[in-house]
Amino acid sequence: MKKTIEEKLKEITLRVTRMPDADFSGRTTFDDLEADSMDKVQILIALEEEFGIEIPDEEIISIETMGAFVEYILEKIAAKEKASQD
Amino acid sequence: MKQIRVVVTGMGVVSPLGISLEDFWAGLVSGKCGIGPITLFDTEGFPVTSAAEVKDFDPGQFMHLKRADRAGRCAQFAIAAAKMALEQSGLVINDSNNNKIGVVIGTSGMPELLAEQAYIIDQKGANRVDPLVVSQYRASMVPSHVGLELGAKGINTTVNSACASGNDSIGTALRMIRSGLADVIFAGGAGANVTPLAIAATARIGALARGAGICRPFDLNRKGFVYGEGGAMLVLESLEHARKRNARVLAEIAGAGWSFDAASETSPVIPERIRSMTQAISDAGIDKSEIGYINAHGTGTQLNDTIETSAIKAVFGERAYEIPVSSNKSMIGHLGCASGSVEAIACIMGMENGIVPPTINYETPDPECDLDYVPNVSREWHYETCLSNAFGLGGQNCSLVIKRFED
Repeated sequence: MKKTIEEKLKEITLRVTRMPDADFSGRTTFDDLEADSMDKVQILIALEEEFGIEIPDEEIISIETMGAFVEYILEKIAAKEKASQD
Repeated sequence: MKQIRVVVTGMGVVSPLGISLEDFWAGLVSGKCGIGPITLFDTEGFPVTSAAEVKDFDPGQFMHLKRADRAGRCAQFAIAAAKMALEQSGLVINDSNNNKIGVVIGTSGMPELLAEQAYIIDQKGANRVDPLVVSQYRASMVPSHVGLELGAKGINTTVNSACASGNDSIGTALRMIRSGLADVIFAGGAGANVTPLAIAATARIGALARGAGICRPFDLNRKGFVYGEGGAMLVLESLEHARKRNARVLAEIAGAGWSFDAASETSPVIPERIRSMTQAISDAGIDKSEIGYINAHGTGTQLNDTIETSAIKAVFGERAYEIPVSSNKSMIGHLGCASGSVEAIACIMGMENGIVPPTINYETPDPECDLDYVPNVSREWHYETCLSNAFGLGGQNCSLVIKRFED
């Protein structure tokens, strides 16, 4: 699952920021990709659609690295699955 | 005090006939028709299936793709035209001059995008709205994107007077430079009107040629206009500023005249069209006998073409029959807010080259439209001064007088 999220995040982020050749790793930050708030909202909308989760705008603001973002998405997916089992 | 003269030092155009001055002009002179089947959306069930689209436009040639994403098609046209105009002008924009370099664009932006997002709210909820719509749909974002790309920090604004906008922006910029508000203004228009809503709504009011329609201005069997899309930008500059930097002057914007019908939302009237032309001539400080060519609004609707013809005859009397009058819209369609500025470029290139582009698709004379419309074939014709008309749905009128530059 983590790998899928990493790949999807990379694809969406590089598409939105129009930096197809940028380095992308867990340590890459939004600043490295010159992503501003409009980019971030586009990225989160695409992720919400992809994984069927809700990401509040204010939560993404505090996330800096792609690694932290992957962890955040994993938590959201886990919470969603737990909620559906309850 | 002597009035500040305003000259053109650069031009750029994105048109259905090509994305450069050379291709645009070659198309006009050869009487090429830029109208064809609509490819930008599926026209199944639409009363109109043809338009003059801009073909093979690659925004990446003119701007970073992230700018292209945020700008949308309409502002992309403006940016591309502005950059071509900048290049021709040789102007260098930097911290020493950018405060007095402005951008004034006639445009409606892309209101259709709001409809798409309203549908998304309805179907998926408010959180799914695309944030890019904010930077794409607003008319005000068109000059904003251009100003961002150019680094021009002077006045940055839009004018909107429907189909008169392209002239209005040039006339407004003329007045701004004369007043000392700016030394240089990138003035022009941009429109991306080949959209389902624009086509469907304009067809409903009966203004568009239906089916796979073509545009036949001044012809007895004209059926309406055909939408086009594109943009044109001109570098307008005070003569003093142009001289200081030894710029090549392409033409002079000598005068502009405005009027408003105050009669009907959709039906034009003769007296105010007369006034728009006579005011432009008077503002230019010339005699009407000096006008050697008229670039008509010439939309190809029944009403426009007869009323414009009558107004021209009222202004020029018997001499109206001796002045070539042609409509570029027969070849490029009606570019809405961009049409006047694209046609201003045609006027200047015609003056430079000693050629008047034709009115194509002209087959059957209309007794009520009996001027010399330069039917079907361009003509060698030398003129020093011309008049260009742009009349907007709603009743706004703006005419320009453009002259060959003489010291």
